[in-house]
Amino acid sequence: MAEEKKGRAVATSTAAKIPKFVRGNLSATLKAKEEGKKVAAAFIADGQDEIMRAMDIVPAWGESFSGVCAAKRDAEKYLQKAESDNFSRSLCTYATCNIGFDMMREELGGATPEGAPWGGMGRPDMMLGNGQLLCDPRFKWPQATQHYQQDVPVFVTNMYYPPWDPNADHHEQEAIYVKYATEELRETVKFCEKITGKKMDWDRLAATVELSDKTWDLFIDTYELRKHIPTPMDTGDAMNTMVPLTFNLGTQEAYDFYVDLNAELRQKIADGVGVANPERYRIIWAAGLPSWFALGDFQYFNGKGVVFPVEVTYRGCEKIERLDLPKTNDPLEHIAWRWVRYWTHWYDAAKKRPGSTPKVERIIEYIEDYKCDGAVFHSAFSCRSWHAGIMQQAATLKKVYKDIPILIMEGDIVDISSYNEADTHNRIDAFIETLAAYKKRQG
Amino acid sequence: MTDIRDGNGLAAAEKLYTQYGSRARELKASGKKVIGYLSALGPVEIMTAAGVLPIRLKGNVSEAISKGDAYMETIVCPFVRNVFDLAVKGKYDFLDGMVLPHQCDSIDRTNETWSYALKLPYWHFLNVPHVTDDPSIAFMKEILRIFIKTLEKFTGKAITDQAIADAVKAHNNNRKLMRELYDLRKSNLPLISGSEMMKVLVAAMSIPVEESSALIEAVTKEVKERKPAAANPKAKRIMLIGDQIDDVAVIEAIESTGAYLVMDDLSTGSKMYWQDVDATADPVQGIAERYLRKLKIPTTFVGSADTYQGILEERFGHMKKYVNEFKVDGAILFIYKYCDPYGFEVPAIKSYVEAAGAPVLYLEDEYSTSSLARVKTRIEAFLEMIA
Amino acid sequence: MDYFAGVDIGSTMTKVVIVSDRIEVSLIGPTGPEHRKLANRVMEEALNKACLTFENLTYIVATGYGRINVPFADRQITEITCHAKGLHSLLPSVKTVVDIGGQDSKGIKVVNGKVMNFVMNDKCAAGTGRFLEIIADSLGVPLEKIGEISLTAEKIAAVSSTCTVFAEQEIISRLASGEPIANLLAGIHDAVATRVCSLVKKLNVEADIAVTGGGAKNIGLVKALESKFGRALLVPPEPLITGALGAALMGKDIFAKYMAEGQKPTRSVNKLEEATFFE
Ligand code: SF4
Ligand code: SF4
Repeated sequence: MAEEKKGRAVATSTAAKIPKFVRGNLSATLKAKEEGKKVAAAFIADGQDEIMRAMDIVPAWGESFSGVCAAKRDAEKYLQKAESDNFSRSLCTYATCNIGFDMMREELGGATPEGAPWGGMGRPDMMLGNGQLLCDPRFKWPQATQHYQQDVPVFVTNMYYPPWDPNADHHEQEAIYVKYATEELRETVKFCEKITGKKMDWDRLAATVELSDKTWDLFIDTYELRKHIPTPMDTGDAMNTMVPLTFNLGTQEAYDFYVDLNAELRQKIADGVGVANPERYRIIWAAGLPSWFALGDFQYFNGKGVVFPVEVTYRGCEKIERLDLPKTNDPLEHIAWRWVRYWTHWYDAAKKRPGSTPKVERIIEYIEDYKCDGAVFHSAFSCRSWHAGIMQQAATLKKVYKDIPILIMEGDIVDISSYNEADTHNRIDAFIETLAAYKKRQG
Repeated sequence: MTDIRDGNGLAAAEKLYTQYGSRARELKASGKKVIGYLSALGPVEIMTAAGVLPIRLKGNVSEAISKGDAYMETIVCPFVRNVFDLAVKGKYDFLDGMVLPHQCDSIDRTNETWSYALKLPYWHFLNVPHVTDDPSIAFMKEILRIFIKTLEKFTGKAITDQAIADAVKAHNNNRKLMRELYDLRKSNLPLISGSEMMKVLVAAMSIPVEESSALIEAVTKEVKERKPAAANPKAKRIMLIGDQIDDVAVIEAIESTGAYLVMDDLSTGSKMYWQDVDATADPVQGIAERYLRKLKIPTTFVGSADTYQGILEERFGHMKKYVNEFKVDGAILFIYKYCDPYGFEVPAIKSYVEAAGAPVLYLEDEYSTSSLARVKTRIEAFLEMIA
Repeated sequence: MDYFAGVDIGSTMTKVVIVSDRIEVSLIGPTGPEHRKLANRVMEEALNKACLTFENLTYIVATGYGRINVPFADRQITEITCHAKGLHSLLPSVKTVVDIGGQDSKGIKVVNGKVMNFVMNDKCAAGTGRFLEIIADSLGVPLEKIGEISLTAEKIAAVSSTCTVFAEQEIISRLASGEPIANLLAGIHDAVATRVCSLVKKLNVEADIAVTGGGAKNIGLVKALESKFGRALLVPPEPLITGALGAALMGKDIFAKYMAEGQKPTRSVNKLEEATFFE
């Protein structure tokens, strides 16, 4: 096992508060029993955050724990444990890392395995999966975990949005999708009521959803401050500052975090402080989950004057007014509309540019708004969901927009075994050279 | 078209297998529209009712990927990559269109890669849901109706409920005939070998449903007339479990050791043929129920039993039946690398099938003959082990 | 006296063992590009050494990845079954066999000389002898020496890549930055042992555990494996021949079974053809 590597130093002091959030989420799962709360193994961006928060269900975020193991370069033992029961090394490593950990915990009769990064995660009372358009693992992972935790009930649901088809009218289909997603959310509530033995407090849910909407807006307002030149915060920090939005949506702490971040970024802008000094190139992180064990690579970029003022990854929200959501008194229907429109609001733009796609439109918009000179994609081998289709996005971007420099890095989110630092840095250097040449050509 | 007469069913299947798509090419030349699809989730009834020829796309295990990797990541299912590569290279140039059912991430996430690279006149992504409760059936019906509408627009012809009901009948009959052929594998010496069967399965998914039924009948008749040779009492009876296996390479590796492949749980095999569509007043209802609730694939499975054992029975109970009915001595679980849906089920399937009495060999592989020697050694060692 | 021969054609070495009621002879030669020719030659040599002729042999079993290329064999059996058999005859207490060959590694669970379960590594070279060979080559250290040198390391230089190509690059750049060769070799052995151990752990590992194959001759690797398994491992005196020995013993069993059923098997080939025949 490689010695633990120091993670990336954050540029903003607000981001330094993130470990507290992450530790807090982990320890909440361990303390829940004492506090009489139920724990749900849950997965991000599943539309279930507010339901859990409004019912005092403590989410145990598998992705977060695996990310921590990866960042501490201490995931291998769990990956191997899962592999020892025939889970392939090519499967989603968030899942296999977690399953390996769960297997060990079961062998210890529910006690946390020794040496678990940051104290480990508590045993869930239920698992809330989602067979949505996000990924297969979030559907199969809870089912696979049940093989080891046979008494823990699994609930899987579905949240779909219309597929992109330049020849179809997605507006016609939206209502069908919203209706379906709403009904599925209602099934989720029913399941949670059954497990917790408590009824949903609908007013509380409505208030929670309202708080989330406010958080979405504040998040975007805050991130847009990064348009400033030099940018006061880049993707290296954003891989941390996404935590409250992604894992603590629907809580006041999450909202307050962005209030602080907002103030700090404004101050930095006023003081003229940027991530890199001088700032030579601005790059969009156009897709891909990061290699959690190699976040230091962002610093390598920064050290060469390259900054990432914007990223697609973990920008899991949008200004609410931009989504033009139909009015409804049903908070579940609101979540459903917000979810569907979050995806489809790029479709109209994509239709206007022949040959484009919504994902590419989004990248183009960010490139323009944040004045980017190039794009970096990361392709993690174990996650098809975010990483299959990247080559297509990159090619389309070049074709329908312009021939900007693009780097596709290859690695993984958790599994360090195919990562090579020297090789990665070489690629980055070569990319920076193409950026230089490109900028010269542009004049 | 290949003339299917008594006594030449197997020869016809062999030809359709080796010259995959030849019948589609002929029909295309005579003016019929040809729509390709991937996976067992392709609703063939609707395509048949639309008057187009549905053809399940097949890969080629002996063909190295040479062009596809320029467009599609290597982290995608090796089967999907292989078929895509063939399509990019023009092996499926007779297609008028394709429908990609949402079976898994490897298909869903490459939808745009396919459609933008192939630029076919007709394209449809069928957004099959992955849970099976009542709202999901209602939703499945909606997306099937959207699919119907796009096909109507493409062919310029309405698809009537009557046409769908007729197609349902034709395909149910086809499934029944195939199940009868499967029955002939139950005898001590199976009347039809595993590799012959694979060729019939592959041939059957490449031709119009009536021709497919005629082919199966011809094969059935032919093999029934075989003089039953003395079975080797020591030969092991094997079941093959997996998703998109559409080639005889692995099967020959099994049967060349003297074992019999007697049953499968493949999405090219029994998964396609074991469940019928119920004739419902609204024919789309029956189709939605069959594909979502009856078809046994990992991405549309939701357990409802109270106990884990009960959930396993719901998910894999049919395999226990196969083990008993087909007297299976051992099972080979053949899963492609990067396949999350099946990959996450491996420990559960393995322990369930072993508890049902058949030891399981789990193999993870690429969709390619390049690693066949290694696979063969494992299969042989497994057969020696259970001997 | 009946004599039984086992021929094991591995990716780098060809092994022949002849048994009667004891081991008469065992011989190891390199596997060339022409398996068949070589199999003949090694067999001839073994027969000479044992003062036997080809006609003296009662039954011949071929194993190893080149087993189909032994024209004079009466039967082909996989190396997995043969390893279990051979090892059991040498070390009857062993329940788990770890075999590290040139191209592949495997783990075998054995009960009474029979295979209960087994695992084999996938395509990639990590966790095989090939990996060590490549690294030894790029460090310019003779392959036979790397194990001993690795034991002189002050600390294990962790190698994070298990992909051969990456690991090689990593090693070279670490060497350039002053990491002692011994530490790097310790790291590499540790990485291979980790890979092998996680493969074998797919089996329900039970003691005693034995190591066979070329990897068992590398003391550094054996030590690294011992630390991963957390116990001492047994190494048979000649770890390369267990497969061939098992093959010979399988032949003996098969023959006995035929005899018990009252039928004497006939040899499929009666004459060891001239080695030149296949050229
Ligand atoms: S999105 Fe990717 S990383 Fe996340 S759970 Fe799904 S497969 Fe794993
Ligand atoms: S084998 Fe797996 S990954 Fe490939 S198409 Fe089937 S379900 Fe999808």
